[in-house]
Amino acid sequence: MDGLTGNEAVVMRNVCKDFKVLNRHEGLKGSIKDLFSRDYKTVSAVKDVTMTVNKGEIIGYLGPNGAGKSTTIKMMTGVLEPTSGEILVNGKVPYKNRTENCENIGVVFGQRSQLWWSLPLIESFKLLRDLYMVPQKDYEEMIDLYRSLVDIEPVLHKPVRQMSLGQRTLSDILAAFLHNPPVVFLDEPTIGLDVSMKSKIRELILGLNKEKNTTVILTTHDMGDVDALCRRIVIIDKGMKIYDNDIDHLKNYFGSYRTLKLKLADDTWEEMLIDEKTTDVMDVIMAKQKESKIKDVKILEISTEEVIKKIYEGSAK
Amino acid sequence: MNPKRLLALTRAGIMEALQFRLGIFVTLFANLIYLVLVYYLWKAIYASSGTDVVNGMTFTDTMIYLILATALFNFLEMFVVWDMSRSIQSGKIALDLLKPMRFRKYTFWSYTGNHVVQFVLTFIPTFIVVMIVTKGAINMGINLLWFIIATVLALVINYNIEMLVAPICLFTESTWGINIVKETIVLLLSGASIPLAFFPEKARMIVQYLPFRAVYDIPLSMLLGKSGSDTWQGLVSLFGLQLIWLVVLTVAGNLFWNCAVKKVTVNGG
Amino acid sequence: MRKRGLGFYASIYRKILIQDLKSKMSYRADFVISTFGMIMTNLAGFVTFMILFHNFPTISGWDYDHMLFLYGFSLVALTPVQCFFDNNWNLRFQVQSGDFIKYCFRPVNVFFYFMSEVFDVKGLGQLAFGIGTIVYAWIKIGIPVTPLIIAKLIVFLLTASLFMIALMNFAAATCFWIKGSGYVMVIMFRFKDFAKYPSSIFQGIFSVIFTFIIPIAFIAYYPSLVILTPDNVPLLSWISPLFGILFFYLSYRFWMLGVRKYDFTGS
Repeated sequence: MDGLTGNEAVVMRNVCKDFKVLNRHEGLKGSIKDLFSRDYKTVSAVKDVTMTVNKGEIIGYLGPNGAGKSTTIKMMTGVLEPTSGEILVNGKVPYKNRTENCENIGVVFGQRSQLWWSLPLIESFKLLRDLYMVPQKDYEEMIDLYRSLVDIEPVLHKPVRQMSLGQRTLSDILAAFLHNPPVVFLDEPTIGLDVSMKSKIRELILGLNKEKNTTVILTTHDMGDVDALCRRIVIIDKGMKIYDNDIDHLKNYFGSYRTLKLKLADDTWEEMLIDEKTTDVMDVIMAKQKESKIKDVKILEISTEEVIKKIYEGSAK
Repeated sequence: MNPKRLLALTRAGIMEALQFRLGIFVTLFANLIYLVLVYYLWKAIYASSGTDVVNGMTFTDTMIYLILATALFNFLEMFVVWDMSRSIQSGKIALDLLKPMRFRKYTFWSYTGNHVVQFVLTFIPTFIVVMIVTKGAINMGINLLWFIIATVLALVINYNIEMLVAPICLFTESTWGINIVKETIVLLLSGASIPLAFFPEKARMIVQYLPFRAVYDIPLSMLLGKSGSDTWQGLVSLFGLQLIWLVVLTVAGNLFWNCAVKKVTVNGG
Repeated sequence: MRKRGLGFYASIYRKILIQDLKSKMSYRADFVISTFGMIMTNLAGFVTFMILFHNFPTISGWDYDHMLFLYGFSLVALTPVQCFFDNNWNLRFQVQSGDFIKYCFRPVNVFFYFMSEVFDVKGLGQLAFGIGTIVYAWIKIGIPVTPLIIAKLIVFLLTASLFMIALMNFAAATCFWIKGSGYVMVIMFRFKDFAKYPSSIFQGIFSVIFTFIIPIAFIAYYPSLVILTPDNVPLLSWISPLFGILFFYLSYRFWMLGVRKYDFTGS
């Protein structure tokens, strides 16, 4: 591939991925018809996506359900072959040599543990050390780093099957970083966790990224993750990239938006999103005042969540 | 219990089974090969024996018996033990117990759809093939009616055996072990792997009165007019045996299930 | 990239096995029940066999002792597939639920990594049962005991197990293409029950099918002829080791093709 600076961890160019699916019919009659049907349709899960992730970056890869996030990740990890386009991870084509690619990446897939179910975590670590052929010295250093970042003692000797969801996610993240891979993929790492566990995991990811300069590609629906970890976000919807820029730029772009909250006579709050460039906030308040008494007024900065929502909505139009 | 709801479950079961279209064709094909194997084996066995009738069974009788036993087996097969063990491991059991229907009833009716599909797709084709190949060795009379009634009873008995075994999963994680013991005992003692007529006299005396026979041997004997099912007395005693076991197993299953559920609730599932 | 050779894989397998056995010790009840189940199935198989011979003294010219040898041979040949490749039974559940993807993220062979996860101890009970049967039949038939014959026995037992492993690989891998293919495995596993009968029972086209396409005849019949009729060994028996390796290799390629072609959409 031309035009590379050597500082890229992941490069994708014009990547597409199509799937063939059977057109299913409804109802009992439809089920019987489907038995013999050859009515396939092609579904494009990813359409012409081009993006670059630099070494040491943490990027948020966002999009609504079914947008094509998982498919992209599966292509980057070498599990799926793109229908067309090019992908380079650490300078190599992932699906051409899956084994080699796996040495240089770490993967955490949401609530699916990749550890040996019945083994205590420390035994899983030792097996992974051998699988990835990590030198003993590096392995010990890594465990020491883990100790300095998070309290691993409660989970170290516990079989994975007996762990809580939070402990399991924590263990999976630690396992993904164990062989010090240049790139780590985290798919919904904080899904279903409580607030304190979420912040623990975010701190851990930040710490590992800082210490080892690991590139992290994070998919999530939790804007807390994005705010805490990502400097840059890429948004994909219906298989197409619709946004790719700094998170600050995102806020500037939508910076003129404010959330206006009004407390009305019947003590209910009314909420509206206002673009200050086109609408004057005072006009809105005064117009409203004619209809009802206003007890209280709040004007809020737009949150990341709302920005993202706006982008999704924009692409839907 | 609203019958409409039960029918809805059955319908959903049929649609689910039909989702696996290629799977259905492959299943049909694999079954056919299996029948060929059974055919050649018993042909060789009868050829070596030198006589046409062994223990009152001709080659044709044995073939029909074993082939239809296999077809019945596919049709009756349930995975209640596996399902229950999976739902215990995933914690889904708590939800299942909360469903508005009684759990046992719910499971039974969700399986009915699958039974219907299996009956149409495996049992009926097999039956027709057997009919054509044996050129009418199966008597087409009132015996068909007895066979259908006995099969429905067998289905319920089989389900009750499953439900008697499945709650053991609440006490141990050894699903494979439990299932294999159940399957082995049922297959051997019900006459599914070798006709009960071939059993030595003394063994047959005991096996005759066990519930397993009611699952395969009794429906098939009725179809073939064996085991005295061609007389009224024989019919009554065979149906009587099925009914007695049906009642005993249902009661025992209910009691055991209630005990087991109590244990789950105590442990908080 | 550092090379991962046979030594690497052997050492990894050993380590996983030790850990696995250690954790299994904590489920003693499971072990006892499973072993009991294994003994029960073997006993049931044996009882069926006895009942058959109670009614029919010979099958296709084979007498009781020779049939018993064939039976024991098939039991031993089934041990490796039971012990080392038992995870094939979980394949379709893992593929359907999407959990299978985790095997694709490690820098080792996917087939190896998947199979290494389960070692089935119960298979050893079957091994003991099979060896006992072979020894009994061996004495009754009066086969001489020489190092050469023992060596032959081991080679041809391994050959036979390759066929069984390959059959189960093929059957399990169908789940990558066919939803609801679970029955293929069940029936393939049931086919093995016919391995203990002389394949001379098959005729015509089916003789070819059960020799070369679904090679049931190779699970016990052809390999065991090397020991049972040393003066009259058919060519197929001699070439069965090569054929076994080929068949196993094809099944492995088929399995891996399934992994490559699968969409992994189940999530």
